[in-house]
Amino acid sequence: MRRTLLGLLFLPCLVLAATSEDPLKSSMWDFHRQRLLGTEPVLFDERVLLEVPPFAEDARQVPIRVDASALAGQVVRMVAWAELNPIPHIFTFHPHSPQVRPMLAIRIRVEQATALRAAVLTRDGVWHVGSARIEAAGGGCTAPSVVRSEPGWEQRLGQVHGARFPRGEVSRLRLRVDHPMDNGLTAGIPEFFLNQAELRDASGKALATLELFPAVAENPTIGLEVGGQEATRLWLRDNNGNEFEANL
Amino acid sequence: MLRCLITLLVLCAAPLQAAELVYRLEPRQIAAGTWLLEGSTDNFSEQNGGDIVNVAFIETSAGVVLIDTGPSRRYGEALRQAIGKVSDKPLVRVLLTHHHPDHVLGNQAFSDVPIAALAGTRELLAEQGDAMAENMYRLVGDWMRGTEVVLPTETLEEGVLEIGDHRLRLLALGGHTGADLAIFDETTGVLFAGDLVFHERALTTPNSPGLDVWLNDLERLQALPWKLVVPGHGPVAGDAAPFAQMRDYLGWLDGLLRDSAARGAEMTEVIAAPIPERFARVSLSRYELTRTVTHLYPRYEREQLPRVDSPAP
Repeated sequence: MRRTLLGLLFLPCLVLAATSEDPLKSSMWDFHRQRLLGTEPVLFDERVLLEVPPFAEDARQVPIRVDASALAGQVVRMVAWAELNPIPHIFTFHPHSPQVRPMLAIRIRVEQATALRAAVLTRDGVWHVGSARIEAAGGGCTAPSVVRSEPGWEQRLGQVHGARFPRGEVSRLRLRVDHPMDNGLTAGIPEFFLNQAELRDASGKALATLELFPAVAENPTIGLEVGGQEATRLWLRDNNGNEFEANL
Repeated sequence: MLRCLITLLVLCAAPLQAAELVYRLEPRQIAAGTWLLEGSTDNFSEQNGGDIVNVAFIETSAGVVLIDTGPSRRYGEALRQAIGKVSDKPLVRVLLTHHHPDHVLGNQAFSDVPIAALAGTRELLAEQGDAMAENMYRLVGDWMRGTEVVLPTETLEEGVLEIGDHRLRLLALGGHTGADLAIFDETTGVLFAGDLVFHERALTTPNSPGLDVWLNDLERLQALPWKLVVPGHGPVAGDAAPFAQMRDYLGWLDGLLRDSAARGAEMTEVIAAPIPERFARVSLSRYELTRTVTHLYPRYEREQLPRVDSPAP
């Protein structure tokens, strides 16, 4: 009975779009918050969409999409992580130009069923956090490399396949980069992964930068949105210093 | 108060403990000398022990031919008992339609009988069997106890297989897994389509070489002079309804994946795509769409993403 009453007291929180209570009530929240977000105030905010499938059909290639379009024009930085992954951090995205929309889609590895978070820092210094849970049989971070089992992968390293898809006022840029994204968790194979990307305009000015971590799946598949039709160039670098470029 | 709670907990737990892991298999005669054990159209669960599959057997003058062995050793054993209640003839052959766990993990109960399958089925089972069995333990739990992979002992090829007074036409197809056997019993007109046909249950695609391959297989199957079609999952039919539903569903899936890739949709968006109202009767369509997008969307994406890398100017 007492619990019912308490439940009723908490009910109003559920109807608010933004709250300071972790909707997933995860014990890992504080740990990752301190590590990745620092001390700025945090709001759990439904305006930050974090789309993930309800379960990981392939724990080595789990699609996620973060969309903070509702906060467009105010976004400074976007960070995503998987709480229970051995390497939780997925990416940090900095849209420098207002032309770049606060949307990023990427495929990741999931080691076990986990909470996922996307935190969006707005100009007023507040983190807006979207949350989701995914079920998984697991093993996505420690499974043997698929890329390395394919003959000729070294020759394909850094190849980019991509295209620009007009969607109303924006263009969606989709691309796949050939890279094993070794995370150091497979015996005898050290970390070898793309860790930096930059989207540049025709003059070479950075429109957005993206830091990647080896929670990102092999052969990273990435989706971005930019306003306008102007050609862009993508620059990528891995932790061994290899650089790759593509026109999008 | 506390004591009441404990008593209540004990009472609640008691039926769980007593729950027996018993497959209630009742063979139903669907044609002359032909029996079906029809599974549910649900997903694998600890409640159904994986009994979600259609298994059939034919009593010929030379003995019983079994088509698929079910999801577990325990199922295989119950199946063997159920067959014995219907026929006193010996089991002469097991035919496996494909390598998926719900169709072959009952093999242990038939290890004294020749188990025949396409060469590709044997290969796939040797490669994926242990991982699939492991996953089945995770999905249905203790029902799987003692279950191990038993590989086929005979290789089948496309052609006619005569067993006693039954003439079985074997078709080596591949739309569902790359190696899919369909069996058309010319003697009775019953077509055992394996998982090339799902009926009122969403089709699964983890090993599919492509939906176009699958559609071609369906065309071949439908053209046979069958009187009754036994799908791998879902109710049998005397009309073309399962074929119509499969074509419609495969066509919708193919179109959805193609259009989505052409629009630049992300995988999460395709997974959330609306499912047409006409498939409301198709069990597990949302669940299987999530899986199918994972399996097949990357191939559709590839067609839309040309190579764009170029060295720095």
